[in-house]
Amino acid sequence: MPGAGEIRVLRRRIRSVKSTQKITRSFELIAASRIGKARQAVEAARPYASGITRVIRNLATEGEVAAHPLLAPHDSVERVGMVVITSDRGLAGAYNTNLLRRAERLAKEERDAGREVAIYAVGRKAEVYFRYRNVTPEQTWTGITDRPRYADAAEVGATVIGDYRDRRIDRVWLVYTDFRSALAQVSTAARILPVDVEEFAGGEGFPAQFMFEPAPADILDQLIPRYVEHQFYAGMLESAASEHASRQRAMKAATDNAGDVIEDLTREANRARQAAITTEISEIVGGAEALSGHS
Amino acid sequence: MATMQVEVVSPEQALFAGEATEVYARSMDGEIGILPGHQPALLLLDVAPLKVKADDGQEHVFAVHSGFLEFSDNRLTVLADVAEPVGEIDVARAQAARQRAEEALRGDAEDAAARTALARATLRTTIAGA
Repeated sequence: MPGAGEIRVLRRRIRSVKSTQKITRSFELIAASRIGKARQAVEAARPYASGITRVIRNLATEGEVAAHPLLAPHDSVERVGMVVITSDRGLAGAYNTNLLRRAERLAKEERDAGREVAIYAVGRKAEVYFRYRNVTPEQTWTGITDRPRYADAAEVGATVIGDYRDRRIDRVWLVYTDFRSALAQVSTAARILPVDVEEFAGGEGFPAQFMFEPAPADILDQLIPRYVEHQFYAGMLESAASEHASRQRAMKAATDNAGDVIEDLTREANRARQAAITTEISEIVGGAEALSGHS
Repeated sequence: MATMQVEVVSPEQALFAGEATEVYARSMDGEIGILPGHQPALLLLDVAPLKVKADDGQEHVFAVHSGFLEFSDNRLTVLADVAEPVGEIDVARAQAARQRAEEALRGDAEDAAARTALARATLRTTIAGA
C-alpha cells in the first residue's frame, strides 16, 4: 500500500513546520515587545541632545568655534572612517543587507575619489561581512547594538574621535538605520566629523555678566566630544529600534508563511489518507466480488 | 517663594524636570549653591553629588559624574555624563568597584582610570549612605 508511507512523510513535515512556526512566532513577539522600549530610549535621549546643542550654539558666539579640531576640516582628506552599525543576530529580514549595501555604496564613492576607507564595525554582522571580503576593520564592537548603552556608544565615539585627532582618519561617516516609523526604516549615512559648523549657527550668545568656570574655550573643548559621542549613541538607538521592527516584520511573514505551508500539507495529507481508504475499500469490494462470483 | 526651572539630564534620559528653590553642585573650582536669580553661569561639574530642592520641599539627590551646569533666564540645566538618582544606586556594586579601584591604586598609584573609578565609587557609596 503506497499511501501509508506518503501520509507518514507528510505528517512528519507538518510537525517540523509547526515547530519552526513556534520559533518564528516567539521571535516575532519578543521583537514586538522590544520595539516599544527601543523607541522610548530614542525619545529619552533627545533632551540631552537638544540641551548640549543649545549650549554649544551659545558658546559658539563667544569665540572662534570653527577652529576647534573637531570642526576644522583636515587640509587633505586621504583616509575616511566609516562607523557601520548592524545587528549581532540575523533573522531581521533585509535590515543588515540594506545597511551593508548602503555602506558599500558609500565606500565605493570614497574609493573612487581616491580615498582610503577604514571600517569601524559595530555589530557581529558588519564584522563578519567585512572580514569575509578581506577587509579588516580598524576596530570591532559586538554585543552592544541590541540594547545600546551610552557607555558603549561613548567608547565607540572616543575611539573614532581619537583617530580623527591623530589624523589617522580625515573624515567620519556614521552608517546606521534611521527609524522613521514602524513601517519605514531607512539606511542612512551621516557625516559626523568634521562637525558641520552650521550645526552650531544661530546661537543667542550669553549676556555680558555671564560666569564661566573654566574659560569658554575649555568648556567647549569638553562639550564638543560629548556632542559627537551622543550622535553615535543616537544612531545606535535608531538602529536598535529599526532592527527590532525589521525582525518583527520578517518573523511575522515567516509565521504567516508557515501557516500557509501547514494548511497545504494538511490538505495533501488528507487527500492521501482519503486515497488510501478508497483503494482499501475497492480492494475489499473487488475481493468480495471475486469470492461471490466463484460460489 | 521664588523658584527656577530645573532640568537634570543624562545622555540616556531626563532624570528631573520641575520647579526648584535651591540647587547645590560642585564645579571644578569648588562647591556652588544656586538660588533663583543667580548670576547666569556655565560650569563644568566634578564627580560629586547634585542636590535639587524642589518647590514642594522634597530634596532630590543625584550622583553626577562630570558634566555641565548652565543657568540663565532662571532656567537651570544640568547635562551630566552619568547621573543616577540616589535610590537607583547599586551599593554592593559600588563597594566592590571601590575595593577594586583601591587595590589597583596600591599597585600603581598613578593609574588614572582607577583614580576616576575610585572617585565614582566613593561618590556612589557616600550619597547612598553606605
